[in-house]
Amino acid sequence: MFRNQYDNDVTVWSPQGRLHQVEYAMEAVKQGAATVGLKCRTHAVLVALKRASSELSAHQKKIMPIDGHVGVSIAGLTADARILSRWMRTECLNAQYAHDRPLPVSRLISDLGNKMQVCTQRDGSRPYGVGLLVAGYDESGPHIYQTCPSANYFDCKAMAIGARSQSARTYLEKHLAEFPDCTWQEIVTHALLALRDTLPNDMDLTTKNCTVAVVGKGMEFTIHEDEEVAPFLAKLEGIQRRGGHGAAPAAEPAPLRDEPAPEEREPRPDSPQTMEH
Amino acid sequence: MSSIGTGYDLSASQFSPDGRVFQVEYAQKAVENSGTVIGLRGKDGVVFAVEKIITSKLFEQSTNKRIFTVDRHVGLAVAGLIADARALAETARTEASNYRADYSAPIPVRHLADRLGMYLHAYTLYSFVRPFGCSVMMAAYGEDGPELFMADPSGVHFGYYGCSIGKARQSAKTEIEKLKTSELTCAELIKEAAKIIYVIHDEVKDKEFELELSWVGEHTGGRHQLVPKDVHEAAERYAKAALEEDSDSDEAM
Repeated sequence: MFRNQYDNDVTVWSPQGRLHQVEYAMEAVKQGAATVGLKCRTHAVLVALKRASSELSAHQKKIMPIDGHVGVSIAGLTADARILSRWMRTECLNAQYAHDRPLPVSRLISDLGNKMQVCTQRDGSRPYGVGLLVAGYDESGPHIYQTCPSANYFDCKAMAIGARSQSARTYLEKHLAEFPDCTWQEIVTHALLALRDTLPNDMDLTTKNCTVAVVGKGMEFTIHEDEEVAPFLAKLEGIQRRGGHGAAPAAEPAPLRDEPAPEEREPRPDSPQTMEH
Repeated sequence: MSSIGTGYDLSASQFSPDGRVFQVEYAQKAVENSGTVIGLRGKDGVVFAVEKIITSKLFEQSTNKRIFTVDRHVGLAVAGLIADARALAETARTEASNYRADYSAPIPVRHLADRLGMYLHAYTLYSFVRPFGCSVMMAAYGEDGPELFMADPSGVHFGYYGCSIGKARQSAKTEIEKLKTSELTCAELIKEAAKIIYVIHDEVKDKEFELELSWVGEHTGGRHQLVPKDVHEAAERYAKAALEEDSDSDEAM
C-alpha cells in the first residue's frame, strides 16, 4: 500500500522526519466506530456508536468508567484501550489514596501521554492503536481530552474521533459557540446529532447501537445504555438529517478491530496529527 | 544527501561510509517541520516566544503549550514532536528536583543543559531507540545573570545570546541579528520577540497560530513565568502594528 523502507519500526525516522509506524497506528483510530465528546460549562458528555460483529453477538462496549469523575470513550483497538483504561483506574485509585482527593483530569492525561510516549520511541513494542476521548470533571470544571497513538493529547471544547468522524467534527465546529450555555441534556442532543452525521444514509441511531455517558457538577460519571438512551434519542426526532453519505458499508466482522473498515476512508491529511508540532 | 536509501540510514547505531549518522539528521528534520520558537537573552533576563500553530478550532486555547517550567527558575521551550518534548520536560524536571535534593540549591541551567544533552545523546547511540524528535531551549536568571541554552536531537548544546528553532528559524535568526539583544531589557525584548514571531509566520501555509510568551529575569525575581495578560496583549498589539507599518511602507514603494 504505502510501503517504504522506513515504515517497519517505530525506532526509524524517515528522511522527511516522520515516523511511519506511529502514523499507521493513527490510522487504526479511524477504523473504530465513531465517538463524540462535548462539554458545556458544568458537564461533559460522551456518546458513541456501537457495533455488533454478528447478529448473534452483543454490541461492543465503547465507553468505560475510570473513576467517579472520569470516563473514556474509545476508537481503535479495544484490547489496547482496556490496558490503558485499567492503568488509568489504578492511577486514579492511587492518587485518591495518596492525596485523599480525586486526581485532576489534566494530570491523569499528561501521565497517560508520558506512558504512551515510551512505546513510540523504543524497539520491541508498538504504539497503542487506540484513540480515547476522556470526559472528566474536577475543581477546574468539565474537560474533554483527546488522546492519540502518537502520545499526543489535546484539551478540547468538543471532539469526534473514529470512522467518518469528519462529518461530526463539521457539525461540532458549526455549533461550537452554542455549547457553553447549554444544559447537559442539550449537549447530549448536540452530541447525538453530531454522531448521527457520521452514519450512512440507511442507518439511524437506535437504543441498541449507541451509548451516552455524562459527568459533571454534582454528577458522577454515568453511562446510559439500551432503554436508558431512548429519552435522549427521542429529542432527535423531527430534526432533519444533513444530506451526505453514500450507501452503508457492508458489515464484515473484523476480530481485532472494534469495527470493520468502512469503504470510505477519510482522506490522509497532508500533515497528519502524528506529526503535531 | 546522496546516501539516502543506501541502507545506512535505518538505525541510529550505524554510521554511513562517509561518517554520518543519518537517523540523527532525520530527527532534526522533524524539528524543522515544527512551529518556530525563539529565545532572546537580554541584559536583565531571557524571553521565549513560541509560534503555536492551531490545527483545529475544536481545541481549547490552552492545549499543547510548548513552554514548560522545569523548576522555579528554569524555563524550557521546545520545537518538534510534542509527545517527545513532554517526555523530555519530565526528565528535566526530575533532574532539577534531584539536584535540589542532593545539593539543597537550584540547579544551574548550564548543568541542566549538560545533563539533558547527555540524555538526548544517549538516544543517538543504540538501535533499539530512536533519537528524540525535538530541540529544547533552556533559560534561567541567577547569580551568573541571564543564561540561555539550546540542545538539539544530537545532544549538542550551546549557550546563546539569541536563538531560533523550528520551520522559520533562518528568517527568525536574521531578525534576531538586527537586535542588540544584550543591551535590551526584558520589557523591550518581549515586544521584539512577539514581533519576530508575527513577521516570520507564514500565513499561506499555516493559517492560525497562537503566540506563547514567557520570561525569566530580575523583574520576576529569578522565576520563570508566562508573561502577564496585559504585557502579552501589549506585545501582540506592538507586533501587529509593526507588521502593518511594514506592509504600508511596502505599498508606498
